Amino acid sequence: MTRSMKLVAVGVVFAAGFVMVGVLVLSMSAETLDEVAEKFGVGESPIYEPPLPDYELPGFEGNAAVNILLGMTFTLLTLLVTFLIGKALKSKNLGRSSPGG
Amino acid sequence: MHIPDGFLDLSIAAVMYVGAGIFWFFAFRRTKVVLSDRLVPLMATLTALFFAAQMMNYPIIGGTTAHLLGGPILGITLGPYAGMISMTVIVLIQALFFGDGGLTTFGANVWNMGVVGVFIPYLVILLVLKFRKDTGSLLAGAFAGAFLGDLLAAVFAGFELGLSTLSFPYSVPIAVAAMAIHHSIIGVGEGIVTALILGVLMRVRPDLLNLPKASPKWMGKFPVIRSQTEGQP
Repeated sequence: MTRSMKLVAVGVVFAAGFVMVGVLVLSMSAETLDEVAEKFGVGESPIYEPPLPDYELPGFEGNAAVNILLGMTFTLLTLLVTFLIGKALKSKNLGRSSPGG
Repeated sequence: MHIPDGFLDLSIAAVMYVGAGIFWFFAFRRTKVVLSDRLVPLMATLTALFFAAQMMNYPIIGGTTAHLLGGPILGITLGPYAGMISMTVIVLIQALFFGDGGLTTFGANVWNMGVVGVFIPYLVILLVLKFRKDTGSLLAGAFAGAFLGDLLAAVFAGFELGLSTLSFPYSVPIAVAAMAIHHSIIGVGEGIVTALILGVLMRVRPDLLNLPKASPKWMGKFPVIRSQTEGQP
């Protein structure tokens, strides 16, 4: 296993831990902005219905196992999307020398 | 910190899209020059890690909760331009799939969390390293930068809300104060976690802190960070 792959593996393990803690222990969300808006009587006007509102699969609200699976799936999707963006950006620069930081 | 649709006037949202757009232009242009085979997996891993970290909501004051942003570590390890791209991916996935943050307000959210929340910590730590290069100063700079980054991101959000007189009928001072008070507490948490992560990285993988960084040329080179264990028997 290369050093980069080890890094990704360690990152995914930590991320899985964060998802589990986020779903099982620290799941209650009452963000300051939402509280401030509620206090001021301001409501959201969504222009689009997200498929997974409040990080839950419709019909499986409160199901910890489903929420963990959902969290992990999107963590891996985030990893993949960023990796592909990085690869695409890097390939656009092939042939040029990196000037460093 | 994620502003939903309907909280900002469209004119303010448009201005924030333009602001974020200017940074996106330079971020993609500069990042593609700096990205290496080692930086791409690190960027992907940190982005995924902070996406997951943002799912943990810590109770703070008055029944509210907060979560880490991750901007400071993204900025310090990848450079602020690559950090901004990482934060853009996080905010986009959160908005598109979970409705966490709006689409009309996407530019504002990227500005607050991906520009202010990433560039300010990077600038602060760069400033500290100009004067002192010891471990304690570096960690203190990381704490101060993360704290200021979170606080200023909240102040910007407050300004955007306060200036949105059609959508948010409260003045700038009220909106800024409401956001800044709570986010100063979140900033302390972000500062502690940033300093802790940086301390661990300096001990176990200092090489990750010394990869080329995607930053504006005028900021100059980021100094080499030495391992905490260097020089010890």
